[in-house]
Amino acid sequence: MREAELAEKFAAYAEARLPGARNARVDSINRIHGGASRQTYSIDLAYEDATGPKVKGLILRRDPPDSLIDTERRVEFAAIKSAFGQRDLPVPEALFLETGTEALGAPFFVMGRIESGTPLNPFKIEEVEPHRAAIGEQFFRYLGSIAALPVEGSALAQETDSPALTQCWRRELDYWANEIRSNAKDPQPVAEAAIRHLEANPPPPAQRLSIVHGDYRTGNYLQDGAGMMTAILDWEMAHIGDPYEDLAWATDLLWCGNDQERAAGLLPWPDAIAIWQQASGCQFDPAAFEWWSLFAHVKALGIWVTSEKAFAAGDNDDPILAWSGWFTHAAHELMLAMRLGPKYGAGI
Amino acid sequence: MSDIGMILDRIGRKLVTEVAPKLDGDYSGGHAGMSGLMAVMAGEAWDGAADRLANEIAGMRGLFALAGKQVAVPESPSLKISDLTAERNELAGYFVALQMSLEAREDDEAKALNAKIWMHLMATAMARMPSPPDFPDADE
Repeated sequence: MREAELAEKFAAYAEARLPGARNARVDSINRIHGGASRQTYSIDLAYEDATGPKVKGLILRRDPPDSLIDTERRVEFAAIKSAFGQRDLPVPEALFLETGTEALGAPFFVMGRIESGTPLNPFKIEEVEPHRAAIGEQFFRYLGSIAALPVEGSALAQETDSPALTQCWRRELDYWANEIRSNAKDPQPVAEAAIRHLEANPPPPAQRLSIVHGDYRTGNYLQDGAGMMTAILDWEMAHIGDPYEDLAWATDLLWCGNDQERAAGLLPWPDAIAIWQQASGCQFDPAAFEWWSLFAHVKALGIWVTSEKAFAAGDNDDPILAWSGWFTHAAHELMLAMRLGPKYGAGI
Repeated sequence: MSDIGMILDRIGRKLVTEVAPKLDGDYSGGHAGMSGLMAVMAGEAWDGAADRLANEIAGMRGLFALAGKQVAVPESPSLKISDLTAERNELAGYFVALQMSLEAREDDEAKALNAKIWMHLMATAMARMPSPPDFPDADE
């Protein structure tokens, strides 16, 4: 669907759903680069209601033919609803969800646009200076706050299942092992060995069940360039599980600008862990973190082989998928091999 | 002009430094930058691809020999990347099975061979890792 047609249909859709709205039109529509899991558009919607003319900034997240990850938009929508307005989390407001294709040719959801901030490139994390410590403090506080959100009664709990505390790791490992085995075009000896290692050395049970963002990392939040995190985005992999999953993913070496001294490339590790513990109410357990940190590499490989498959099949020609299937796959395979090899006597 | 690596490198740099900035603000600008970045990486990978695959194949065949395992995988009929990849992939399937069989054993011989397998996996993972091109303003 061309953008002009999309804008016209979107205006009609929004007018029907905004209370008292009339004469709705899209003043501008711009596709945002980088959101390969959904087609993401920034929209200025102009309309009138009983109080006069208005312009509302909206974000439209529409399903593409294929994406980095095969997720249900209703889960992402529910996750955003679960976090919006909770504690001081900067999360956009979830507005409309459509699971059918009638309105815009594909399922989609709409959320409010947060007007300030840009994403930080995880491969150029030094650009956050001189606000590295301030962003780092918010990064780990918000991460802990998400882990502390109530699960029971949340919108997300109504859309997804809640595993037993002892089964969080099993469910995630099974899911991503299946993604790798179903989608990899080549044999994956490193990933297979890692999966076997994780199965043979399970983590402790989760300390609590939490809302897990699923992709909380540099690149998926906005910051205003003056030391404020303004939005936490990309909730498409959200689920209910072990909060260590998010902590390990957020501090994966790939998102740290290769900075091993600072957690997520932002804060000294002891400071980051202390902030996360205070905000989440969880106690840091090195054994649990080690398991989930290795798992984060496996999960990443699952995403990267799926990306490569979609690109190779021509289902989605966004070059970010080719990059993911090549560079980031190689990076995580190397991380796994270098961490696991020594455990089995290699390199000693 | 037959230096494919050089051609890809130059095309990639042109895309990143000239084309992508002119498309700044447009959705296609991101595509141009990313495509250029990967063209430079592909230029580098082009030169070493056959060598890397041949090393992976030789490494695996050597480890099968150490394990006393016969694998019925014919040698690649040519040095084409596609033929070498097919041989490597077929061997890798047996390689996973070999490692699983070693992990199921407790004896020192099995552990020593598994350590050698991990050395091979570490070396091949390192060899596969592309070096990201350094563009002052490239936007990954």
